[in-house]
Amino acid sequence: MNGAIEIQQLYYRAGKTFEIKNLDLHVARGSIYGFLGPNGSGKTTTIRLVLGLLRPLAGRVTVLGRDILREAPRVLEHVGYVPEQPHLDPTLTVRETLRFQAAFYTTWDWPCAEQLIRQFELDERGTFGHLSKGQKGKVMTLLALAQRPELLVLDEPTDGLDPVVRRQMLSALLDYVSQRQATVFISSHLVHELERICDWIGVMDRGRLVIELPMERFKNGIKRLRVAGAPPSIASPPFALLAREHQNGALETWIVREWEPEMAEYFETIGASLHDVIDLDLEEGFVELLRTFRRPRS
Amino acid sequence: MATVSPPRLDTATRLYQCIITLIHSATVFDQLDPRSPTPLYAQIANRLRVAIAAGELQPTAALPSVRQLATKLRVNPATVVQAYRDLEAEGFVEMRQGAGTFVREVPPQTRARERASQAAALVRKLLAEAGRLGVSLQELQAAIAEEIGVGTS
Repeated sequence: MNGAIEIQQLYYRAGKTFEIKNLDLHVARGSIYGFLGPNGSGKTTTIRLVLGLLRPLAGRVTVLGRDILREAPRVLEHVGYVPEQPHLDPTLTVRETLRFQAAFYTTWDWPCAEQLIRQFELDERGTFGHLSKGQKGKVMTLLALAQRPELLVLDEPTDGLDPVVRRQMLSALLDYVSQRQATVFISSHLVHELERICDWIGVMDRGRLVIELPMERFKNGIKRLRVAGAPPSIASPPFALLAREHQNGALETWIVREWEPEMAEYFETIGASLHDVIDLDLEEGFVELLRTFRRPRS
Repeated sequence: MATVSPPRLDTATRLYQCIITLIHSATVFDQLDPRSPTPLYAQIANRLRVAIAAGELQPTAALPSVRQLATKLRVNPATVVQAYRDLEAEGFVEMRQGAGTFVREVPPQTRARERASQAAALVRKLLAEAGRLGVSLQELQAAIAEEIGVGTS
């Protein structure tokens, strides 16, 4: 129970079709947790539940060791949040926005804010509504970092931004994390970016958490195998078989999870031969996982 | 194994050394591949090990701080820490609380062993790739002889 975010048996429902069911999620302190999932899978809703902006119908959400619903103000003082859509007053200048935000946080760090204004090359006299998308993203990141949070919750902070801005934002984020050992909970569709920085991965689909694993275990566990001569039905393999596909040739393609190199021996015991073990990167692993998760089990 | 303590340096010299190491690391870390199944910490440690074994990084040289390297490579600071810890456990570097991480004096035989293990890894990669492409051993040997022959004649 010592995680930065702990979600237990959460249930939430919005409208008739969308619900989040039996959600358990654990974000260890000091980790950088990548939260993946297709559009509409419930990532943003989960983030809003974590921040106490939505009320679950059942279950419990603990953030930085406190119940979010009962102690939201005290918790949120230590949480930096970058939402998907900017929610700031478009008529204020950057400087005014900073002053407004600073008033809410006892931990606000002006030298850090000033330094980020220079680093991000922001014009502090520009009104927020007239800033470019990239500049808005930088202001949001600056606001979240200058309050010196213990936990950063970032909802697709860099999606749709150009690579130069993305790099600047990520560097500032990582610089902050190296200094403060803060926890980061980040959702994004830019899987390759998450692959660089995350040590934990959680995948959502259709309101459920499909998987939650350390990055290395996720990546090293999912493989594409090329197999020949396997019988049509096989009993209890040592790995989790996600999919089995016949192609034109003699070789079949198997997608497996929880793979270990020693498991190659298994194929002899079923009279088959293993021709190749192909590594998948995070994106391919993610796509394969969802593809097989969605297929009805026979 | 003899440990060389980093010499006492004034701030300017240390800064200069850091800049040199950073410029250096720009090339040392050129080929990091986050999509590879080899974890990033192992890739970073490996690049540094190679640079030390090749003598590109000299004893007492300061490695970039965890913060500098994490920001520069855009990786998790924990990844850099893990790489430095592994190198320390192998005797390649020394982490000094509050001062930084420094390259240690590595005996020539250790450096030679490291180069040999890098060579073996290269050959394994070559063999695996050749197998995938259906290149036979004879063809491979012929190609190697040809390349080396051309290079040394």
